[in-house]
Amino acid sequence: MAQLPDIDFTLEYPYTRTTGPIIGPFLTGLRDGRILGTRVGDRVICPPLEYDPADGSTVGPENLVEVGPAGTVEGWTWVAEPTSKHPFDRPFAFAQIRLDGADTTMLHAVDAGSIDNMSTGMRVVVRFNDERVGSVTDVYFVPGEDAPDAPSVDADAEPVGIMEHLIGVRIREPLQPFRKRFLEGLLQKKIIGQRSPADGKVHVPSRGYDAINRVPMTEDDDVEVSGRGTVTSYTEITPIQYHGQTETEPYIRCSVLLDGADTTIGGVDIRDIPIEEFKVGMRLQIVWRDDISFDDEDNRAYGLNESVYERWERTGEPDVDPDLVKEHNF
Amino acid sequence: MARPCAVVGIGQTKYKRQLPVTLDGLVREAALQALEDANLTFADIDAVVIGKAPDALEGVVMPELSLADALGAVGKPIHRVHTAGSVGASTAISAAVLVESGRYDTVLTVTYEKQSEGNATWALSGGRSGGQGAGGTFAPWIREYIRRSKAPEHIGWKVAVKDRLNALKNPNAHLHLEDISIEKVKESPMLWDPIHFLESCPSSDGAAAMVLTSEDKVSRSPNKPAWVLGHAKRTEFSTFPGRDTIRIQAGLDCAEALYKKVGITDPRKQIDAAELYVPFSWYEPMWLEGHLIAEEGEGWKMTDEGATEIGGDFPVNCSGGVLSSNPIGASGMIRCLEAANQVRGTAGDYQVDGAKVALGHAYGGAAQYFAMWIVSSELQPDFT
Repeated sequence: MAQLPDIDFTLEYPYTRTTGPIIGPFLTGLRDGRILGTRVGDRVICPPLEYDPADGSTVGPENLVEVGPAGTVEGWTWVAEPTSKHPFDRPFAFAQIRLDGADTTMLHAVDAGSIDNMSTGMRVVVRFNDERVGSVTDVYFVPGEDAPDAPSVDADAEPVGIMEHLIGVRIREPLQPFRKRFLEGLLQKKIIGQRSPADGKVHVPSRGYDAINRVPMTEDDDVEVSGRGTVTSYTEITPIQYHGQTETEPYIRCSVLLDGADTTIGGVDIRDIPIEEFKVGMRLQIVWRDDISFDDEDNRAYGLNESVYERWERTGEPDVDPDLVKEHNF
Repeated sequence: MARPCAVVGIGQTKYKRQLPVTLDGLVREAALQALEDANLTFADIDAVVIGKAPDALEGVVMPELSLADALGAVGKPIHRVHTAGSVGASTAISAAVLVESGRYDTVLTVTYEKQSEGNATWALSGGRSGGQGAGGTFAPWIREYIRRSKAPEHIGWKVAVKDRLNALKNPNAHLHLEDISIEKVKESPMLWDPIHFLESCPSSDGAAAMVLTSEDKVSRSPNKPAWVLGHAKRTEFSTFPGRDTIRIQAGLDCAEALYKKVGITDPRKQIDAAELYVPFSWYEPMWLEGHLIAEEGEGWKMTDEGATEIGGDFPVNCSGGVLSSNPIGASGMIRCLEAANQVRGTAGDYQVDGAKVALGHAYGGAAQYFAMWIVSSELQPDFT
């Protein structure tokens, strides 16, 4: 039997950010070789905001002023083991830097070489990367006060209005015991549900507890249900082309109330029953795949893992009256 | 005993796609407009309540933290509410509760979404539910409603046209479809059978805000208040044995509790205008029944007879509704503040003449979260 690994998947999406009247010029400035703050009353704030953080009053672009290029470290921490997300592949400091001319600090990276070179109150100065796109990572800081050489600037470049922002999160968690038994059942072409000790209703797939009666269910409550059942609900999906979408043709996702179960399995994928023939009440049975394995287990899915079946086919039995399954139309 | 609370300020951005502002700028625009309407400033606010749909929609995690200063909440409490699509109405109710309880006198509440910076269908499924989307979840229930009620297929088309015609009167609405028609709706692509493209809500950016205050502070604000007569929230699981997803128990309970609190015995007669959360056209008749405004199986007849049009006896979504603007996190609050607009007499070209009592409503998740409120031009309206 194939081994069931723990859950491990990465969720990521390329978001965009509109930069607006203050952050836009700030990022454009970093690209073009200068650091901007905003004058707010008798203070200069850097990095700048669209408002006065003290009272929320509006601060417009007429208040932008240049600060730096050198500044003073007001606090710092040493990153001894950088990860791929960090700006350097070698140890460095994150520091709160109050740039000359500013009254607030900006968090940024100092390429100091060694922790021994870092101290609160030390002077640091900005350096511009050769490749700059209008991002806070276009610059970094080094110990000292020597102003950088003026970087080469593309005078025709548009101001930064929208930036891309790829966000990803890797999720790892152990499979819950009830879920593991369910998935192990599928590997043996068995569908395992759990019978609630409170009301006798069979939940497939189970959450490991009866949510209505609020009682836990254990291995003793496991029961096998049939691979045959009744369609209780379906959706015909015309795919929308979003990032990561792999579907191109219309298809059906349906819910099936398996014989012996009181909850439906959702998201059952139907590709080869004609859409015009499909209906609530239709009797279906699973056609198992010969060689079952999983690549995307999780603890919460409400269907069967798609990789366990070739397809679902009509049993040849007469349709069930839709009224008899109307309580199961999720 | 809770003390009375009123809406004294309303702010809305335009609902469009790709509004050229930051999230800070977006929420501030609505908030500053609501403060101006109330003749107040951030200094007059005792607490801020912010709401939006899942963080994955824009990919900004815990935005209530980074937006606190932008909303003038320095040194003040900020609360964040999240109940999926119903969040806008839940947020309004949370703000009202803070005033009614006596804890704070004046509360600023703001909700928003900037759908253009991410993708809702992707975000709502966490990237891994087969691309079914919200429409894919609701389509089977709509089909089942049609089967049970024997409603003719043109009902959905009719709602789609009515709400878009209403939106032409609302300068804030995202969709201004001058040439909308029954023909256009039924010939638009079928996204999730039986839901056509033009029977679906758009994907919008925008923010909505309100200032709520206690009875003794109402006179500080020059414009007419909308009194919050009552509110209710109910929740149920998305799936469990025996769940009726058409006539949803939590929705019935929510409406019953609300009407009881306010003293409403005949909602169709006693409510002058309603803003119901209708992201797909068929949800108009479904909520008319699901919230006890029409008898079971009769909701579609109200739509068919024109009762839900401006000028009908129970106008629904005079502002154009979710079908015309859907900045998801704000959509429920827009329902609540458009109800307030109606009773304040500030609904402009989509004003229902003489509206005194109005209903704001939202639902969320797999039609499992409900939030409703009733506002009135009078603190103690005569329902007899």
